[in-house]
Amino acid sequence: MNKRSQNDEDVKALFEQFVNREQAEQAAEDFREAEQILRSYPAPEPDDEVTAGIKSQIAWALLDRKENVFKRKALKAVAVAAAFIVIGALSVKLLEKQSQPQETVYASIIPRAIWESEDIASDDVNLATLTAEIEQIKDEILALQLGDDGENGSGIVEELEMEFIEISSDFWKG
Amino acid sequence: MAKSEDLTRIITGCKKGNAECFSQLVDIYSRRCYGYFYRLTGRREISDDLLSELFVKLVQKIGSYKGGSFESWLFRIASNIFHDYLRSKQRYKKLLEVQKKQLESEVTEPKHSEDDRADKLQKELNKLDADTRELIMLRFYSQLSFKEIAEMRSEPIGTTLSKLHRAVKRLRELRE
Repeated sequence: MNKRSQNDEDVKALFEQFVNREQAEQAAEDFREAEQILRSYPAPEPDDEVTAGIKSQIAWALLDRKENVFKRKALKAVAVAAAFIVIGALSVKLLEKQSQPQETVYASIIPRAIWESEDIASDDVNLATLTAEIEQIKDEILALQLGDDGENGSGIVEELEMEFIEISSDFWKG
Repeated sequence: MAKSEDLTRIITGCKKGNAECFSQLVDIYSRRCYGYFYRLTGRREISDDLLSELFVKLVQKIGSYKGGSFESWLFRIASNIFHDYLRSKQRYKKLLEVQKKQLESEVTEPKHSEDDRADKLQKELNKLDADTRELIMLRFYSQLSFKEIAEMRSEPIGTTLSKLHRAVKRLRELRE
């Protein structure tokens, strides 16, 4: 029996750490004798058939292990491929988003619909009134130019001036 | 017994899944492990099964061996296998007891008990409790140092020394 690690051990010295010298000597002697008893009654050895059976079982177990390793590798490869596909798809989406023109951010105080609307007059009541009055003045100037009101031309001009002043003050008052 | 370098080479081969290297491991350790199981169970057929289980487990677990004392690692697995066996034996005993009660029959233990087939030493070992018996067998068959046995059992070396000393003294008493 090979006693590689046990040979390095001094049983007596080891026991002396816990008991007195005499007791340590006795313990070492007890161990020597016990080992002698065990050596004098060697245990039976396994039959050749048993060891042959074990070797064949090992061969099967190794085969199983190889199959499992292959399966694990295949699964790993599939997982890595799936990860690449997901990352690729996400990258493409991200790039597409970046290449699109940036949208204008509107201040929340002005509604987006009004900001974008071409028809300013309809968006604001004051503006609508003002526009109507301008239209009216335009018509009146046109009428003057055409000489529709030939009798009292200066009166009309004064009236117009008064209207302008009134509109101006109303507009700035809001 | 393989030299340290040979053992390292064999273990490396085993890790790579080389059947020949496993076969060499079986040749090196089967006798000692069989002796360990036989002295603990006292039955050849059970020792055969436990030995097979040990080496199949070795194939599954060799990747987890990260160096250090190989014997310590191997006998730790052997010890776990033995404890699993003890647990299943307890379960089997309980099952038998339940069956006995259910049938209300006088079922006696088989006449050819373990003792009849065991040698003289085995009879004496059977008188020791399982833990004491295992401690002696670990020391003798695994060839581990006291320190390694203590580490394996996760107990202070003083405790291991004291238990082992009580065990060998008991064995000596039984022999007298």
